[in-house]
Amino acid sequence: MSLVAEAFVSQIAGKVPFIHVGNQVVSELGPIVQFVKAKGHSLSDGLDEVQKAEMKAYMELVNNMLLTAELYLQWCDEATVGEITHARYGSPYPWPLNHILAYQKQWEIKRKMKAIGWGKKTLDQVLEDVDQCCQALSQRLGTQPYFFNKQPTELDALVFGHLYTILTTQLTNDELSEKVKNYSNLLAFCRRIEQHYFEDRGKGRLS
Amino acid sequence: MAAPLELSCWGGGWGLPSVHSESLVVMAYAKFSGAPLKVNVIDNTWRGSRGDVPILTTEDNVVSQPAKILNFLRKQKYNADYELSAKQGADTLAYIALLEEKLLPAVLHTFWVESDNYFTVTKPWFASQIPFPLSLILPGRMSRGALNRILLTRGQPPLYHLREVEAQIYRDAKECLNLLSNRLGTSQFFFGNTPSTLDAYVFGFLAPLYKVRFPKIQLQEHLKQLSNLCRFCDDILSSYFRISLGGISPAGQDMVDANLQKLTQLVNKESNLIEKMDDNLRQSPQLPPRKLPTLKLTPAEEENNSFQRLSP
Repeated sequence: MSLVAEAFVSQIAGKVPFIHVGNQVVSELGPIVQFVKAKGHSLSDGLDEVQKAEMKAYMELVNNMLLTAELYLQWCDEATVGEITHARYGSPYPWPLNHILAYQKQWEIKRKMKAIGWGKKTLDQVLEDVDQCCQALSQRLGTQPYFFNKQPTELDALVFGHLYTILTTQLTNDELSEKVKNYSNLLAFCRRIEQHYFEDRGKGRLS
Repeated sequence: MAAPLELSCWGGGWGLPSVHSESLVVMAYAKFSGAPLKVNVIDNTWRGSRGDVPILTTEDNVVSQPAKILNFLRKQKYNADYELSAKQGADTLAYIALLEEKLLPAVLHTFWVESDNYFTVTKPWFASQIPFPLSLILPGRMSRGALNRILLTRGQPPLYHLREVEAQIYRDAKECLNLLSNRLGTSQFFFGNTPSTLDAYVFGFLAPLYKVRFPKIQLQEHLKQLSNLCRFCDDILSSYFRISLGGISPAGQDMVDANLQKLTQLVNKESNLIEKMDDNLRQSPQLPPRKLPTLKLTPAEEENNSFQRLSP
């Protein structure tokens, strides 16, 4: 079941994940999962109600912590913003649009951070939150191959997407990827999925 | 040695110790972990801050935000989670994230954004707790903060429009309530027989939704259909938040109440047995008719009679 995992290849390239099916374009993980489910494929059919609840809860945890931390690091950490994000975000557009759009996006993200209470967080606190999140994921994964034992589910795809991005994107400081590397079972998990599902794309990027 | 811990938070109503979710989370956690908190309810005087409530003050620290307060209490050895396994601890984090992402927007909407609810219930209540002229400003500010939060986290740029988001957040909230109900099942608390951090969070978010009387109540209706969640809230309210006016500590009060409950049950059982015996005797034709104690007693009298019969 590689359609859902495929969606993350796009995310790695820096765009919002989307799939193109015939005449339709479906974007973002939630709707893609629904779309694929409507076509008769679902990764979480084998789970009972309690497990489904757990899976949804962990997906929210990843969205809440990892995604927000990634956004914070990209847009609220001045060093990263100046060196990498501004340039990358504005690169498709001509001057002065590239500057305007980048500043607008930054302002938008900062507003959102403030609304959810992350406005006053320092980088260290954010990294600590990421560490807590990784610890929770690591404890949940344990020694199993996937989060719900033998079969991969939406949660595995989501976690893989985020962790892979964190591990392979070069930023000004490596602390974020260092935090993830502390958890060997998460690293092994990413490597395993990369080899299993993406090996036909050439050499793996995870060392 | 614990320094005196003072918590300032919003007050209670409708049978709840506090109407504000975050304050309720902290109060519930303190009860579960046995932390001695002195609760200062925000009132009509000008003392204290109201902005970032709940706030925990000790001799040399001021801590705000529920997550940080709970962390602080844990460091002070008031830990409600020490019996949890590592995996259960991880599950706690995950479920709290679920609550904040899926349930909180709809709770905020029900309290602060839905105009009928806001203008008839929420605003008057909060305005009545604080002195004039703050009562004109603060509720409006809280309402705008809530709307902001909903739009920024759920709205799609560039058009942050409330109507598009409303249907989605209520759908998500109902799904979240169903998930919680499935997870709780028939157990008393989420992890076994003792309450933990997750129970405090779930209670804090659900209890105001369950108890406060609103005109527009679609989410409340949905919650009331999930009887195990309602039972969960009621259990915690009656076991940990018996409204005492000081004097007996809550733990002592609980024990006294538990003992009283057991005694009452025992007495009731005895009196039921005796009633049955009386019935049998009456219906038996061989025994001569004799004057039997009347059966049509009020429960109090019945107990008294039973006491008399039981005494040696």
